[in-house]
Amino acid sequence: MQLLAEEALIDELKNPNTRERAFGVLVNTYKERLYWHIRRIVLNHDDADDVLQNTFIKIYRNIDGFKGESKLYSWMYRIATNESLTFLKQKSKKSGISDEELKTRMVENLEADVYFEGEEIQLKLQKALATLPDKQKLVFNMKYYQDMKYEEISEVLETSVGALKTSYHLAVKKIETYLKAD
Amino acid sequence: MKRILRRIKPLKKCEVKKMMGKNDENNFKTPEGYFDNFHEKLMGRIREEEEAEDLSFLPKSDGFTVPEGYFKGLDQKVSEQIKDGETKVISLKTYRKYFYGAAAAAAVFLVIFGLNLNPQDTVGFEDLASAEIDAYLENAELDLSTYELAEIVSLDEIEINDVVENTLESDNILEYLDENIEDIEELNLNFEDYE
Repeated sequence: MQLLAEEALIDELKNPNTRERAFGVLVNTYKERLYWHIRRIVLNHDDADDVLQNTFIKIYRNIDGFKGESKLYSWMYRIATNESLTFLKQKSKKSGISDEELKTRMVENLEADVYFEGEEIQLKLQKALATLPDKQKLVFNMKYYQDMKYEEISEVLETSVGALKTSYHLAVKKIETYLKAD
Repeated sequence: MKRILRRIKPLKKCEVKKMMGKNDENNFKTPEGYFDNFHEKLMGRIREEEEAEDLSFLPKSDGFTVPEGYFKGLDQKVSEQIKDGETKVISLKTYRKYFYGAAAAAAVFLVIFGLNLNPQDTVGFEDLASAEIDAYLENAELDLSTYELAEIVSLDEIEINDVVENTLESDNILEYLDENIEDIEELNLNFEDYE
């Protein structure tokens, strides 16, 4: 979205008279991108759907607090990332299992997931991703599968481009080792 | 390397003297035009290395799909959720109102019971009340978001151990560093300078 268009949209979102219409535009513009971002963290479609809706509700409720210090999309990605990670934390707490155990189970469940059309290699990729620290996994997915620029990822994750490049490089190396090992 | 060595000829005595006198000249030579296209060659090498990072082992798609028409119906679902939420939302301020009432009632009871309570009674009213409030807060699933919490609790009132699940012992910190040490570059504030 162009910067000027984004500024106009933010103004409309903060104005109670135009908020609803502007929010419709916002949802339409970002629903797919945010969905895929969330889906790659929580893996399951139903969970991604829940988290995505919560994310948009949070955005709607907190738009007045958006100070415009970062770009609108990075603010929304940040909310989506936090919501997804919090969701997983709550899920593991409710099931009384560790975060690692939850990640393993999530990948195992993919095999029976009708909305996962992956073959052996995709499943193995998810297994490899489950072994990575959250940050490396996020950077890898955002860069490789969501095709985001380092500068964009840097705004979302509030990490320097240099550190992101290192994280990405480490992630790729670990995934390569995992996929090539047998 | 061999090529460079071949180009180094033995020095004559007079040449050595000449060299020692003049530091800005030396007898090492570089191939003609070596520095002219150094930058191009370097960039070529960087590009080559980048291309050499063969990512063909990664599948093009990661296999996730969505139900048909999912994105079309999403706008509707979100706006319904927001409308529903607007009617159901529980304002924290109303709770606050009850807190004053509850505190007043508790104070009154405390005075009454405090006067009549058998001193041998082991369960104090104060314990009971705070236990109940704790139980309520534990079970009521207020589900406050970080934003909502930040609105009602000032930063001064929060201790780090209120928000972390495990007490932040040095063991926890060491464990954290141990798990995340791979990202040590993140600690290097001037990392980009070396890029």
